[in-house]
Amino acid sequence: MHTKPIPMSSSARGGSIVIRKMGRGATWCMLTFYALLTLYPLIWLFVSAFKDNQDFFSRPFGLPSSWHFDNFSRAWKVAGMDIALLNSAIVTSVSLVLTVLIGSLAAFILSRFHFRLKGAVMGLFLIGMLIPVHSTLVPLFIMMKEMSLLDTYAALVLPYIAFELPIAIFIISAYMTTFPKELEEAATIDGAGYWSIFCRIMLPLSMPAISTVAVLGFLRFWNDFAFPLVLINKPSLKTLPLSLSIFADGYGTDYSLTLAALTISVIPTIIIYLIFQEQIMKGMLAGSVKG
Amino acid sequence: MTTAARTRAFIIAGLLPALILYLLFVVVPVFWSSYYGFFSWKGIGEMKFIGLDNYTEVLKDEIFWKSFVNNLYIVAYSVFGQVPIALLLAIVLARNSWYQRFLRASIFMPMVLSSVVIGLIWGYIYHPQIGILNFLLDSLGLSSWKLGWLSDPKVAMYSIGPPIIWANIGPYLILFIAALQNIPGEMDDAAQIDGATGLRKLFQITLPMIWGTIKVAIILCISGSLKAFDLIFIMTRGGPANSTELLATYMYNNTFNIFRYGYGSAVSTSIVIISLLLIAGSQFLMNRNKNVA
Amino acid sequence: MIMSRKWIQALVFLMILTTVLAGCGGGSTPKENTDNASSGKEQPAEKVKLSLWHNFTGEDLRAKAMRGIIEQFQNDHENIQLEIQAIPPDGYRQRLKTVAAANELPDVFIMHPGTIAKEFSSAGVIQPLDDLLNKHADWKDGYLPNSFDDFTFDGKIYSAPMSLSPTSILYYNKKILADNGLSVPTTWEELLHAVEVLNSKNIIPIALGNKAPWLAQSSILSSLADRVTGTEWFNKAVLQDGAKFTDPEFVEALSYMQELAMVGAFQEGFNAIDTTQMEQLYAQGKAAMMIEGGWAVTNLVASASEDILANTGVAILPSIPNGKGDPNTVSGAIGVGPAMSSKVEGAKKEAAEQLVLALAGPEAQKITLEANQLISFKAELDKSKVNPLFADLYELVNKVGRTPVYDARLTSQATEAVNNGLQELLLGAKPEDVAKKIQDAQEQGLKE
Repeated sequence: MHTKPIPMSSSARGGSIVIRKMGRGATWCMLTFYALLTLYPLIWLFVSAFKDNQDFFSRPFGLPSSWHFDNFSRAWKVAGMDIALLNSAIVTSVSLVLTVLIGSLAAFILSRFHFRLKGAVMGLFLIGMLIPVHSTLVPLFIMMKEMSLLDTYAALVLPYIAFELPIAIFIISAYMTTFPKELEEAATIDGAGYWSIFCRIMLPLSMPAISTVAVLGFLRFWNDFAFPLVLINKPSLKTLPLSLSIFADGYGTDYSLTLAALTISVIPTIIIYLIFQEQIMKGMLAGSVKG
Repeated sequence: MTTAARTRAFIIAGLLPALILYLLFVVVPVFWSSYYGFFSWKGIGEMKFIGLDNYTEVLKDEIFWKSFVNNLYIVAYSVFGQVPIALLLAIVLARNSWYQRFLRASIFMPMVLSSVVIGLIWGYIYHPQIGILNFLLDSLGLSSWKLGWLSDPKVAMYSIGPPIIWANIGPYLILFIAALQNIPGEMDDAAQIDGATGLRKLFQITLPMIWGTIKVAIILCISGSLKAFDLIFIMTRGGPANSTELLATYMYNNTFNIFRYGYGSAVSTSIVIISLLLIAGSQFLMNRNKNVA
Repeated sequence: MIMSRKWIQALVFLMILTTVLAGCGGGSTPKENTDNASSGKEQPAEKVKLSLWHNFTGEDLRAKAMRGIIEQFQNDHENIQLEIQAIPPDGYRQRLKTVAAANELPDVFIMHPGTIAKEFSSAGVIQPLDDLLNKHADWKDGYLPNSFDDFTFDGKIYSAPMSLSPTSILYYNKKILADNGLSVPTTWEELLHAVEVLNSKNIIPIALGNKAPWLAQSSILSSLADRVTGTEWFNKAVLQDGAKFTDPEFVEALSYMQELAMVGAFQEGFNAIDTTQMEQLYAQGKAAMMIEGGWAVTNLVASASEDILANTGVAILPSIPNGKGDPNTVSGAIGVGPAMSSKVEGAKKEAAEQLVLALAGPEAQKITLEANQLISFKAELDKSKVNPLFADLYELVNKVGRTPVYDARLTSQATEAVNNGLQELLLGAKPEDVAKKIQDAQEQGLKE
């Protein structure tokens, strides 16, 4: 296993160690400050979730005057969050697995093979990143209806994959391009076919990029509102954002319940992110060639 | 099977699932929608064919072009804000100590929040009466610096910048860290032997090594910025008086508020075309730069 | 990571297969299968299935009352099986439009009056309720005059309003006004005076939250402009028949509106805060007045302290010097009503009619009124059953006439132009320019 040299501290030359150390200290102070700044909103969310509506408005940045734990149980019940969480989990995980598999397979081909139309195919996928999702809602709805897919998980999963594929292909193929050519050559000499090169070498090696794609996709799927709003009718198939939106009513919003529900919905994303973050950072630092 | 045929079969089998899904659920709806652009249609009832009328109206539409300029602001925020900051942070945070992991995790955190939360929070930061920003300015004795952050059309588009940069740095940070960790260790060793440190090493070795990733990031920025919708929609709804209107919010309003499906479809087709031109242009510029350097 | 090659291949082909199969299976067979499967449990035959969409998702009294009515209906009609879909109001219209575009409207649904109802009726996706209304004369005749106007197209009535919303009520804090030697402003001069006095005491005269820009239009302009121009002019301008929004009287109305902002009647940053925050400014006693629709009563009851609630009074907007309109009026619109898809027929139609009657009939109207929601139906209010503030509102509205609300009559395009135009106007744009934009939008909207 290869360990990386430390970028900033490794070569202390000349007599500037003290200055450098001070500079490092300042850097870390600033970084910590920045991190706290970015964390604050999350803390704000968690704290505000315990307030009642009036408290929320009169002292938006203070601690709750009394802690309302019942906000959570009320939110849970009102929004039917148990079903919603389950639906979101199913839709998100199925979409993620398929996006990663289909996307990295296509990325593998587009980055490591040469063939006619390769540029055209790549370009076609690139365009997909530019398309505003909302513009396709009506045609998609009509299509789903024709295919009898309305009110099924597939109505969400299929467009999710389709819309996430461009970015997945883009990121993973950019990453795969950086691998040296010898990688496949060596494997081919060992007698491995393309499928096994893909599964045994490319997939594991691309884990950092795949994790990135997975995190982005997870957040997109988990937080998406437009597709379920239009394509899902049955209450039993509601996803989380749809159930959260129940709190926003036309002439005003019940913020205490909304924030409690948002807190509940944010917790899985934080946990998943923390797991994935490890994955990205561990992810195969040195490849088989480099090692 | 010959090797060539096997390769061919593999290419087709590998691309097919992606292509089918993508064509069916992205490309077809887009063309379908650009077809609607030729009609005067309220979403239901009769579709009246009006040729290019919608498209010529788009070209003459003041608000459309204003939205376009606003989109360019967002492109600028992300290319000149997100990318450099994320890169800088990635370089400082490429190690794996627990503290660095903690910092990375917290910088990424805004990404896990839904736009609703982010919009809500920044709405409160900028709030004219109880906002924390005005409160800070007051307590620093800078009351004269107080502005109608989101309510003044001259200021609102600038106030949009920080939340956008802040909320979207996470993925770029990860992208850059992944790229940095992929730089072969030998490079660093070689740099040390040459005595290259600090800034010199950054410009001579690190940046060129991850130039490909930077390009990816910039293109992601541009395309993401042109699609920007949620956050603005929640923070300002494109207002006040269209001052923060974006192409996507304008399209959304036309289709789902005014119910001009035909015109909204023409706007969304125009967005796709404009984005294509912008991306092509930026790629051209970046490739040329690289050749020069 | 060991993944067998076959496994991947299988997965990929499965993907392709499902996509292709889905593409071919366009017929309705699979859908019917699942339908049978789900309903086959209890009573196999005869049961009528009816889909119902509504937007009563909130936790306010009215939404709860409506959901109660629906629940009761289910209990009372064992032969009817409802498939209920409750959609939050924010996305409700978009959702209806989308399914209408695919000709997939639910059997019965709650519909907004005005533009959307007009479009649905002219597209033939909903059916008239005349027969049903005529069968129940006590119901039809129980409505106040003009109640069906915004649901009537080509002489047919497509829905029956379930509520009435005065959009322009001046809520005022009696204590703050009295402490500063003021009373409720009934004329423009008194209003300007009140603004001056309150501003000098650092109290927000009128709270305004115009981030979602319909508020200034619906709650302020609709009444204010009517005071200046008169209803007759507005009706003509809507049809572009002998009056235009560039006419001097409308420009004058816009100037009055602008004057309010210029003299500091509203707090700073009114374009950046939403209606909830506006209500909070009032509810916390930071503002002396607030102009919003009758619906604000429920919100105030929920969020204001008892002290402020007890001191709150309701009034109509002040009169305008030399105005052509009747100053003793309030702008108001009928609320939503149940509509029936044109696909509903036979036994299904009978069931649907029963549901419509249950939702909007005399019984439902009474329940609605007791849930602190005004109705457009003759019914005595038992004051012991509602909040005192609502009782005041009820009395006020019954005392005054009703004038149209702008967005209920204008085309969607013109509504958008008014909403955005008012934001500009309140920030100092020229009234003539704003009027021009509104005129252009209305003209174009009528053409499409």
